[in-house]
Amino acid sequence: MTARVTFTAGFSRRYTGGRREFEIEAKNLRGVIKAMDQLFPGLGEHLEEETTVAIDGEIHEVGYFQPIPEGSEIFFIPKLEGG
Amino acid sequence: MNDVVGRFKWVGTRPIRPDGVPKVTGRAMYGADLAMPGMLVGKILRSPHAHARIRSIDTSKAAALPGVKAVLTAKDFPEQKFEYVGPERVAVNFWHVTRNVMAREKALYEGHAVAAVAAIDAATAEEAIALIHVDYEVLPHVIDVDEAMQPDAPLVFEDMITRGVEPAPTKPSNISKRVEFKIGDMDAGWAEADVIIEKEFKTAPVHQAYIEPHATIARVDADGQGEIWASSQGHFVVRSLTAQICGMRVGDLRVTPAEIGGGFGGKTVVYLEPVATMLSKMTGRPVKVVMNRDEVFKATGPTSGGSMRVKMGVTKDGKITAAEGVFKLQAGAFPGSPVMNCCMCSFAPYDIANVHSVGYDVVCNRPKSAAYRAPGSPISAFGVESLIDMLAKKIGMDPAELRLKNAARIGTQTVYGPKHAHAGYVETLEAIINHPDYKKPLGPNQGRGVASGYWFNGGGESSATVQINADGTVLVATGSPDIGGSRASMALMAAETFGVDYSQVRAIVADTASVGYTHVTGGSRVTFATGMAVVNACKGGIEDLRRRAAMIWDVDPEGVVWEDGQAKPASSNVGDFKPMTLREIAAKAALTGGPLTYAASVNAGGMAPGFSTQFCDVEVDPETGKVTILRFVAAQDVGTAIHPSYVEGQIQGGVVQGIGWALNEEYIYDAKGRLDNAGFLDYRCPVASDLPMIEPILVEVPNPAHPYGAKGVGEVNICPPMAAIANAIDSAIHRRLTELPMSPPKVRAALDAGAAAD
Repeated sequence: MTARVTFTAGFSRRYTGGRREFEIEAKNLRGVIKAMDQLFPGLGEHLEEETTVAIDGEIHEVGYFQPIPEGSEIFFIPKLEGG
Repeated sequence: MNDVVGRFKWVGTRPIRPDGVPKVTGRAMYGADLAMPGMLVGKILRSPHAHARIRSIDTSKAAALPGVKAVLTAKDFPEQKFEYVGPERVAVNFWHVTRNVMAREKALYEGHAVAAVAAIDAATAEEAIALIHVDYEVLPHVIDVDEAMQPDAPLVFEDMITRGVEPAPTKPSNISKRVEFKIGDMDAGWAEADVIIEKEFKTAPVHQAYIEPHATIARVDADGQGEIWASSQGHFVVRSLTAQICGMRVGDLRVTPAEIGGGFGGKTVVYLEPVATMLSKMTGRPVKVVMNRDEVFKATGPTSGGSMRVKMGVTKDGKITAAEGVFKLQAGAFPGSPVMNCCMCSFAPYDIANVHSVGYDVVCNRPKSAAYRAPGSPISAFGVESLIDMLAKKIGMDPAELRLKNAARIGTQTVYGPKHAHAGYVETLEAIINHPDYKKPLGPNQGRGVASGYWFNGGGESSATVQINADGTVLVATGSPDIGGSRASMALMAAETFGVDYSQVRAIVADTASVGYTHVTGGSRVTFATGMAVVNACKGGIEDLRRRAAMIWDVDPEGVVWEDGQAKPASSNVGDFKPMTLREIAAKAALTGGPLTYAASVNAGGMAPGFSTQFCDVEVDPETGKVTILRFVAAQDVGTAIHPSYVEGQIQGGVVQGIGWALNEEYIYDAKGRLDNAGFLDYRCPVASDLPMIEPILVEVPNPAHPYGAKGVGEVNICPPMAAIANAIDSAIHRRLTELPMSPPKVRAALDAGAAAD
């Protein structure tokens, strides 16, 4: 499945040399993280620990098992915490 | 995805709260109610200075006092590595955390813990505290966020370099971090606007003001195994933080939750638990430490105070074309304000093509800020929702209609990246616009104000264990401390899933050794995430109960269905069997495989955000400046209300806390940075006699990702009140108040100044 992966400006500045968007082939979120880690070694760990993921707007905690529908939009956003 | 949403038998009903009787009869066991044989009393010495270098601490006289069993200073805790770990938004730096638990090089705020003693009784412990001599070098202090950002401000940390700025600054400052979010083309957005308004706003730091002060007992035995009993919003987090700070393994600590007398975010961190644990390690006896109210105000986290500049543009026909905000938040003595939330939530209810939010996390000489109900979001909402009211008045449009015209819907782009996937905001606006009192005429000096709010709501890790007892009763154990009625909602969801009577189900909060890891009760996550774990455990149970019924009937499991709390043959072809109840299947548990116990753990995703829209009517006394709330109506998208009475209570509670933030609550410091109003007599929270009945409107737009459509309900309700009241005051007296609290002296000053600044 092909998905479009997007990072926030701050995250991309720190980890992807400022590049914010990527086209990734993956069946599930594990595949997305693995592919990003191959492009930027070490990035996978940051994604796992620091982010929450929105798949087509639906927000999930990062979990390998999340399926990636064809053509989906994936945003890695700062992990959320409340009161 | 949802396979059940529809009409329910138990979900949506209002049974009597299961924690009610022990609480009203005084038998509920809060943190301070616990006692153990051989227990010592711990007391903490706190800094009298807002900012001071600690040259030395002499504990010899205290240690020599008869009855004193241990004296503790920061040197007794292991040093922690300086590194930010975990998610950026909530990164923890244990070098900071251990220094907040007990000061090392410097005391960074009045009330900062400096040393502690364990003694045979409270009087001895107090006497010993007075015998500890601390040699301080008093330093200049800074409290206000704008002053703390000045280049010549006293530095809380002499080596702090701002993160998030490239290239990195070469000089240290009190600015810990800068964050930024941007979409669209700001220049184009401003060019499209017919009206542009820019304004500065300030919010006061306010305390969570939970009724129950922090309290804990710790016992560490000779084999290194420890136990903690504490009131908190998350005993698993208490365990992990205390283990790290005390140099213990997580597995060596067991934490049992006490009943909790309010938290609102402020009990998601540790203050006393590491101190009591270390004192117990040193003495070999249980140690109890309880804060008094003075300590709660001076040494525990309030939410941040904020200073912001907000700018928005709108066309004459009411289309918002651009929005910009700069948000500066007090982190307190250590980095970590909710400034990222503040930026992300600021314009989230709206469909605006061009948005730019910048945030600064700023340290100062106050207690480290802690989470407070939708942390960060109410601060930006005060500025943004005030400005939207100003725009509406400028173009002559009803403020709710202006919001409706620009409301976020499914597919609307957010400034932080994804598009909104859930509805709910429009429905809250429509509920307010259609309310019979919304157009009701008002009298002299009276005004009406509208405001909205947004909160993400949470998901994440939760666990549940379900046991079917021999008599068919059901025990539901979760790891979520109950601060908002979760025992009732868990029992309702279990009853609904099993198809049994609610009275058959008992829900409890289990300790860290008795249920799987569960994240804090915070972020409006428990009904959603822990509820999902409960429902999953029950569903697993039903599968097993069908299998066991099939075994009893000697048929294929596929031939058994579960309906109305009973196993039944799927059809007459299966055989002529009388349906079996939970009790009947439980009676044969040993014969069919052993005890009926089912566990489930989730990392729940698919949470839907919360939207709230509120309106209030106020009357301003022109003589005194006192603002009286005449009417307050709060509409909130709550998904499916699992227990509507608790949901209404959450809305009413959030609104009342917002009213306090709006009108009265603030910290008053003297010239030396010492708090002058550390008590509920002088720190003025609203009480029942200050308030009308808060009218909640439950807007139920179910979340399809939850088995019963639940959404978080506990936080978004505190976002709108400050701006709603400011907007109402402006409508009443034509004065725009931009600084909280809008207390009588400020209202009076605005009237005197004739400052209709907008």
